[in-house]
Amino acid sequence: MTKTWWWKFSLLAVTVLFSALYVYPTIANLDLETTKFPVKQKMNMGLDLQGGVYMVLGVDFNRVYKEVVDRQGQSMTEHFKEKGIAITSATLVRDASAVAEDPQVEVKFDAAKTNEMKEALKKEFLTLRLVDDKPGVLRVGISREYKNDVREKTLQQSIEVIRNRIDEFGVSEPSITSQGTDRVVVELPGVKDVERAKDLIGKTARLEFKIVNDGVLSEGQLAGMIQKAEEENKITYVEGKTAFSEYAKKMNDLLRDKIPANSEIAFERVKTGLQKDAPSTRIPYLLFSKADVTGDDLQDAGVSLNPERNTPEVTLTFNPRGAVGFDKVTGENVGKRLAIVLDNMVHSAPVLQTRISNGRAVITLGRGNHDQMMQEAKDISTVLRAGALPTQLDFLEQRVVGPSLGQDSIHKGSIASLIGSALVFLFIMFYYKKSGVIAVVTLVLNVLFVLACLVGLEATLTLPGIAGIALTVGIAVDSNVVIYERIREELRHGKAIQAAIESGFQKAFRTILDANVTNAMASIVLLVYGTGPIKGFAVTMLIGIVTTLFTAVFACKVFFDLYLRGLENKGAKTISI
Amino acid sequence: MFEIIKPTINIDFMAKRKLWAGLSVAVILGTFILLNTKGLNYGIDFTGGAEVQVKVPSGWDIGKVRNALSDGGLQNFKVQQIGVPADSQFIVKAAGDDKSLNSVSAKIGDILKKEVKDGESKIERVDVVGPAAGSSLRMSGILSMIYALICILIYVAIRFDSRYAPGAVIALFHDVVIVVGVFVITQKQFDLTVLAAILALIGYSNNDTIIVFDRVRETLHTNPSLNIITAVNKSVNETLGRTILTSSATFLVVFALWAFGGKALEDFAFTLMIGIVVGTYSSVFIASSLVVFMTEFQQRRAVEAKTGGPGKTKKSYTVRPDPKFSP
Repeated sequence: MTKTWWWKFSLLAVTVLFSALYVYPTIANLDLETTKFPVKQKMNMGLDLQGGVYMVLGVDFNRVYKEVVDRQGQSMTEHFKEKGIAITSATLVRDASAVAEDPQVEVKFDAAKTNEMKEALKKEFLTLRLVDDKPGVLRVGISREYKNDVREKTLQQSIEVIRNRIDEFGVSEPSITSQGTDRVVVELPGVKDVERAKDLIGKTARLEFKIVNDGVLSEGQLAGMIQKAEEENKITYVEGKTAFSEYAKKMNDLLRDKIPANSEIAFERVKTGLQKDAPSTRIPYLLFSKADVTGDDLQDAGVSLNPERNTPEVTLTFNPRGAVGFDKVTGENVGKRLAIVLDNMVHSAPVLQTRISNGRAVITLGRGNHDQMMQEAKDISTVLRAGALPTQLDFLEQRVVGPSLGQDSIHKGSIASLIGSALVFLFIMFYYKKSGVIAVVTLVLNVLFVLACLVGLEATLTLPGIAGIALTVGIAVDSNVVIYERIREELRHGKAIQAAIESGFQKAFRTILDANVTNAMASIVLLVYGTGPIKGFAVTMLIGIVTTLFTAVFACKVFFDLYLRGLENKGAKTISI
Repeated sequence: MFEIIKPTINIDFMAKRKLWAGLSVAVILGTFILLNTKGLNYGIDFTGGAEVQVKVPSGWDIGKVRNALSDGGLQNFKVQQIGVPADSQFIVKAAGDDKSLNSVSAKIGDILKKEVKDGESKIERVDVVGPAAGSSLRMSGILSMIYALICILIYVAIRFDSRYAPGAVIALFHDVVIVVGVFVITQKQFDLTVLAAILALIGYSNNDTIIVFDRVRETLHTNPSLNIITAVNKSVNETLGRTILTSSATFLVVFALWAFGGKALEDFAFTLMIGIVVGTYSSVFIASSLVVFMTEFQQRRAVEAKTGGPGKTKKSYTVRPDPKFSP
């Protein structure tokens, strides 16, 4: 054989070896925790195969807009009061002209100041837009830019609220993602109790500010107590398995008589690494149980840059009632830490520097580079907003698959795919004889490559995905058929065997490429617009198209060259095709 | 060499092209009429609703399930048995608004728990789609189909030329409509899985068409003086063996999925089975006929442009060479 052939063969052999390495753990069902096998990846099974809950949630933006525009109206009143323009009323428009998606506020004031007000509004309230004006009466709605901003932030905070409760599900690989601009998709593999999941997700977020009870126990003492309680009562917290609230409740019950009566233990979760899936540790806090200020008192929160140091910081604005409460808390607790607690989970505990009376506070962040600080500021402000502007989530879609049904699907799907493939293999071998055997070998390799790619790319296998693999076999056969029919034609035109094979492969290549590219486009559209299991189908089809090009054009040629060499050695004048 | 199609085969596919076109137009029109009168039997993915698959103790029949549920206070529902009776599995479909839908599965679970001993009944699968989500799924389904067709139109127009692109896309449109037509006639449930199968079909059927087109292009390239009808006929005949082989192979796979893949894959595979048959037909008869039509149309236009054709003055008569016989 020629040197080039050996190169090609080696490449193919290495690819096959690697693919086999990737597929083996799944086929042999290795325990990834204990195995010494070099590849520690298994096929991700979709919810329809392993069972679990899939939910699509819609965010009720109209409620948020209404709340936002109403609050803007209040802050306008205050703003202009400072400037000497008395606003007599700022009320939400409730007449027939009011639209749900575009709530508006009507502001009434001294008619003589109309022009001044209009000017000021344009300059100082970029978040609002003027809808209508009459002397002494202005009607305002949310500006387009601000609306988009609100929308984006609201979606983000909805995801954050669910993620905050993720430990409650006892799921190892939950997924919470946004879909489009107004939806959240929650996938909880292995969860059976959809009602409980719905209760947890649908619950309105509760934000509380609690003072850290630092004087009684040191951090080390508290951590030691918890560790001791864990050991004595054989409680282990396993991330992804233990429901968090149960764990926290147990700890509080066990240590009830060791901590002051007016206090409770709460935890903050901190990632131990920078990666998204890095494990997290729990930092315990001893908090005063009474929440002095809650999310209801908070008007808004956001990220801004410190004008002097140019570092990101979080700004908080309290509503008038909240400002009073916050003034009291800060006045009494200067020097202490104030914990930000969302749904009983501590998110941050900044130190109170001074008494704050005007309801406007800033949280400056610790060290770190600009990007890290920016991220942290965004995270904290998202948590704060989640409490300040709680969103209502509607359940748009829920799909639950029981684990036994999933097993059944895997079983039936695989059997059907095997039978289908076997039928095709027999058909091709019958039709093309020895060349047919080559085709079958390439098809088997093709399936191996598809499976390996699925594992390697951490794609998810779904039931339609299994169908996609079977269909890939059907479509990959096409490439073989196109090539073989070409070779036959060339032979019929009287070409020598080798020449016929060369030109057969060459001429067929463009056809195969065109056909597969258009096929791929349809799959990409499916991938972009499809949901859940259908995405799984598109993924396997796309991978299948790439592996088909590799096997039918490259691998098949390698085997053909080998076959041809054998024929030449025997001095045969015909080829079995 | 074993051959299904003899290489000497020479069927004049194009001679009856008006008949094929007429037939397909009639079927498409028929489908549209049926779509408007009978309509598709949309699944809950598109209409909104709840579907709960339950396993009950063996020996329960559909009437018992129905009575148990309605006695338990469930309203506005239908029961359907799936699989073999020994499985004793049923699908309960319920309609309603967002609120009532959300509680359907809990309610069914409660009713069954009261009726039988613990562990004897099981909820295997729940699908709840709110009415709003249903209509948006339908919209994105339609959009995805349009996008797929546009992508293919552009690709074919670039890789081949404008004569081929309409043929490819109209053939695909034809396939989609006829498959939908089968669903209207059989009143089988049309849901997301079926839609996915139709999109997969668009990819598959186009594959077929491209291979025929590729051959037409090659034939015209090596022999430019060939009459378009002869060229298309020659190409369709030359690729006929491949067309039939591939379609049969793919059909075998899909058939196996349909027969052995269980309830979940049944509709998906059924759609593809119909699609493969229709897609093969359209590649051979419809797409290629449209290339002939487009070529003749363009030639006529070219001649008209030269002779100042009917485009300029409406009543001018021209004598022009018959493109069928022109070189």
